[in-house]
This record gives sequence, C-alpha cells and structure tokens, in this order.
Amino acid sequence: MFLLDAPVTAKRQVARDMFVVAMHAPEIAVSVRAGQFVNLGWSGGPLLRRPFSVYRVNGEQIEVVLKAVGEGTSDLLSMLPGDRLSCLGPLGHGFDLAAGPRSIALISGGLGVAPMPLAAREATSLGMRVSWVHGARTSDELCSESEGSDVIWATDDGSKGFAGTAVAAAPDADLVLACGPNRMLSAVADRWPEALVAVETYMGCGTGVCLGCAVPLRRGGYDRACKEGPVYRAAEIDWAALPTHLSYAISR
Amino acid sequence: MSTQLSVEIGGLKLRGPVLAASGTFGYGTEVPLLERRALGGMVSKGIFLRPRTGTAPPRIAETPSGMLNAIGLQGPGVEALIRDYTPRWAEWDFPVFVNINGESAHEYGELAARLDGVPGVSGIEINISCPNVEQGGLYFGNDPRAAAAVTEAVRKRTRLPVWVKLTPMVSDIGVIARAVEAAGADALCAINTFVGMSIDLNAYKPRLSFRTGGLSGPAIRPLAVHLAHQAARAVSIPVIGVGGITRAEDALEFLVAGCSAVQVGTATFVNPRAIAEVNDGIAEFLRAKNFTSLAELPRYLPRD
Repeated sequence: MFLLDAPVTAKRQVARDMFVVAMHAPEIAVSVRAGQFVNLGWSGGPLLRRPFSVYRVNGEQIEVVLKAVGEGTSDLLSMLPGDRLSCLGPLGHGFDLAAGPRSIALISGGLGVAPMPLAAREATSLGMRVSWVHGARTSDELCSESEGSDVIWATDDGSKGFAGTAVAAAPDADLVLACGPNRMLSAVADRWPEALVAVETYMGCGTGVCLGCAVPLRRGGYDRACKEGPVYRAAEIDWAALPTHLSYAISR
Repeated sequence: MSTQLSVEIGGLKLRGPVLAASGTFGYGTEVPLLERRALGGMVSKGIFLRPRTGTAPPRIAETPSGMLNAIGLQGPGVEALIRDYTPRWAEWDFPVFVNINGESAHEYGELAARLDGVPGVSGIEINISCPNVEQGGLYFGNDPRAAAAVTEAVRKRTRLPVWVKLTPMVSDIGVIARAVEAAGADALCAINTFVGMSIDLNAYKPRLSFRTGGLSGPAIRPLAVHLAHQAARAVSIPVIGVGGITRAEDALEFLVAGCSAVQVGTATFVNPRAIAEVNDGIAEFLRAKNFTSLAELPRYLPRD
C-alpha cells in the first residue's frame, strides 16, 4: 500500500456526466489488480477520502472513472492537469481470475464499468474469451470505451442495443464478473450465485480500520468492503440487508 | 538537541503525548504505513465480554468537517482479543490500553479482572460514553453515580492503570470528572463523540440505520477543547484531550488548555500518517518557541 502525492495528468469524457481522470501514481500502477481501488483526498476537499476503482493503467499513470454525484466528485472534476491528489492504494481484494475459466462475461451497470477494463485485460492475458455487457438507462449514459472480444450494449429505454437490463442481456460464461448498482448485483446473484461482484458501500478509511463499510453476509455478521471486499462471491452477500441507494451529498 | 516529548500519565511514562484513539486504530495491526516511533501509545477498539456483530449499514455518514458513525462496537469479544492480539502487543515498544464496555458495572469489572496481568495490556480505558449501543454505553457516562460505580467496579478488579473516557453529552462534565476521580480513575479522556443525526432527503429518514451516530472530526474540536479544559479544571488527575485533532496545532490547543496528552482519532482514517505528523509538529513548535521539553509549554489552567 502506498500513499502518493499524485498529480492529475488528464481528463476525458466517456458518457454524459461521466469522466475519466488520470493521475501519475507509478507504484500503484505497477501493483494494482483488477477490482482494487484507491482512496483519493485533496487539499480543500471534504474530510473523508473518496474511493474509486482503478479503471485503467497507462504506464506510470492510473485512471479512475466518476460522475459528479456530490461535492467531492464535483471538486475532482474541476481539477486541472498538475493539480495534486493524495492517492492511497491499491486497496481491497480484487477479482481472482486464477481459477482457469475459458470464457468470462463482464457485466457493468452505469459507473460499474470502473473495474472492467483491468479485468478484461487480465482475462485476455490468461487466454479467456471476454464478453462485456454494458448497461445504462439510456444510450448517452453508456460509457463509450470498452474492451474484449464481444461487446454487448443494453439500455433500459432501448435507445441502444438490447432493450432491458445488462443482466438480462448477458450471455452465460464459465465466470461472470459484475459491478454496478447493488440492485443489479442482487439480480446477478439470483442468476449466477458463483459470480464475482464488486459492491458499493459508504466507506470511511478504506484500510480496514473504521468498520464503516460493513457488508452483510448470508452466513451472518459483517465484513469490510475495503478489506475482504470489495469483490465477493455473489452468493455470500445478504442482498436484502445491503443498502441500495447511497446518497452522498454533504454540505461544507 | 532533541526536544523532550515524554509525559507521565498516572504513573505510566509515555515517550510522546500523542496516542491513537479507540475505534480509529483497530487493534493496532490494521493501520497502514504506521510510524511506531511517533506513537505515545494506543487504545484498542472497544471490546465487550462477548463477540458483537455491530449495527446494520449504513454505519457512517459524512457531515461538514466531520463524520457520524454508528458501528455498534463490532468486535470479537475479550477472549479472542487476548488470544489474537495481546501476544503481539507484548512485543511493541509502546503501551496498549484496552477500551472496555459492558451492560452493567459487573461486566466492566469482569473485563478488568480478565485483562489484569495479561502480557501486552498496559492499561484499561473505561468506555462509559459510546452512543451506539442499546444497553449501557452513554447511560453510565451521564450519571455521576453510575459513572463512579463502573469506575469502582473496575478499580477493585485490576492493578492496571485505569482511564475513563467521558461523554460530552452532559450538562456539567466537571461533576462526572470528579465522581470518577473519587472512584479511583488514574486519568480521564475527554471527550468521546457527540450524538448527532443526519437526514437523507431522498429517503425521508436518517442516513444511519441506527438513526443517530457519534459525531467526530474537526467539526467538534472547539467543543472538545472546552470540555477537556473544564474536566482538567475539575480534577487533579491527568486529562487526555480527544476530539477533532488533525494537526499539531490542534493538539497543542488541548495541551495548553490543560491536557497532559492527546488522542488522535478520525484524522487517522483520512491520513494514515496523522499521528506522526501531529507528534513531529509538536516537537517543531516547541523548538521554534525555544522550549526544550513539553513540560515547559505554558498551560492555561486557572483554578476556580
């Protein structure tokens, strides 16, 4: 784990209200695994850091993808190249792809694209056939970037690709990875209990100390999204007890 | 020449005045990038006799310059703590206090007896101020007789140093401070979190599943400095200041206001190096002011 002073290097738009921010974080770039995240803080920002899955790695740079949902993410989107972030990571337990499946389906809803490019690259390098199903409410909310041998688009309103959810549009595969709203992940769990899913929770420290990011487990009790997670076998989670709507707004 | 930062709290010598606050440092094994040299000591996550699963999520909510938490003292229980953590603590070069919690004075006493003499345990911090448990917790902290009864129950069952962590949710902290001093406390920690609430305007209900939570972070610092100062004026035992410290200047405010040491809490969540930065910043401040030791720092502690 590293705590780096990471200058922003670039920003690009990938969907309506959705942006990719790149930063120089060489130690994290060489060590991060798909599904792991970084916790970002900045001078003048909110008190707590904000967690982001690492989206892509490009040489000594890492990228994260975000929407302006609250004051923290608005701050981040207003940053310019050269502005400095405090970057703590890599954090958490990512996707474990070592088991040797031959085909893999990636299912992402909205911002759930975040861990998928790294997962697609790892899976491809392990010789797997990669299908990626992108879901969103409408076509302009679909992330324009993708990877893998097959790309399937799904929109709730039918404005692009399959009309319906990403889960309904997904093909079967030896292994399914999913990331998106917890309600979508719950549907993934119903169809593929063995799927690996990256959950979203409120998070405090990101390092396993504060116990704020509790994930309810079917066997009882809680563990930490930031430490044992954020990736879980879908069947392990007590979906009914996991909050589905996260409202982030704070006022300074 | 190096600046002398060591302090003595109720007979226990600490190499520095900055400790890690309970609930923000786990059991000392979780915090990344830890710089032990800067740590005066640590207080473990609060423990009960038996394991506890904690409260349902959402457990935390950020507020302006602060955070609300309702973790509910999730933990493995005292036997697992002794088995899994104390052997490691015994090898560390700083003291570890165990934050203890019970639903009755008797349970606090049982915990004190169980921890007495366990290698690696340097002392006990009595938590009579947790706002996030259904039974006990704050109840003991806002009644002077109950606070004294818990302190006495612990005092009778252990030879370890006993600190008592006070709640700010009282009309006169001095009354509680004097009651636990008379019951045998070696030091006081002032203060625990304030009880707060935040509402989700999309769901029309509290943002925390427990409804309320404990407010910590810079938002509470001036309140905490005042309450720690009031406690320090009320008693002759040392007071350890806690509440919203993120920088050395914050810690120095508590020290000048009459505290003998400080605990850093929420800041560690944001910056794993916070404790080291606070410790080193205190030394730097003292050097800049030409003091050779922390003992020379002027205190503002008028006696009533």
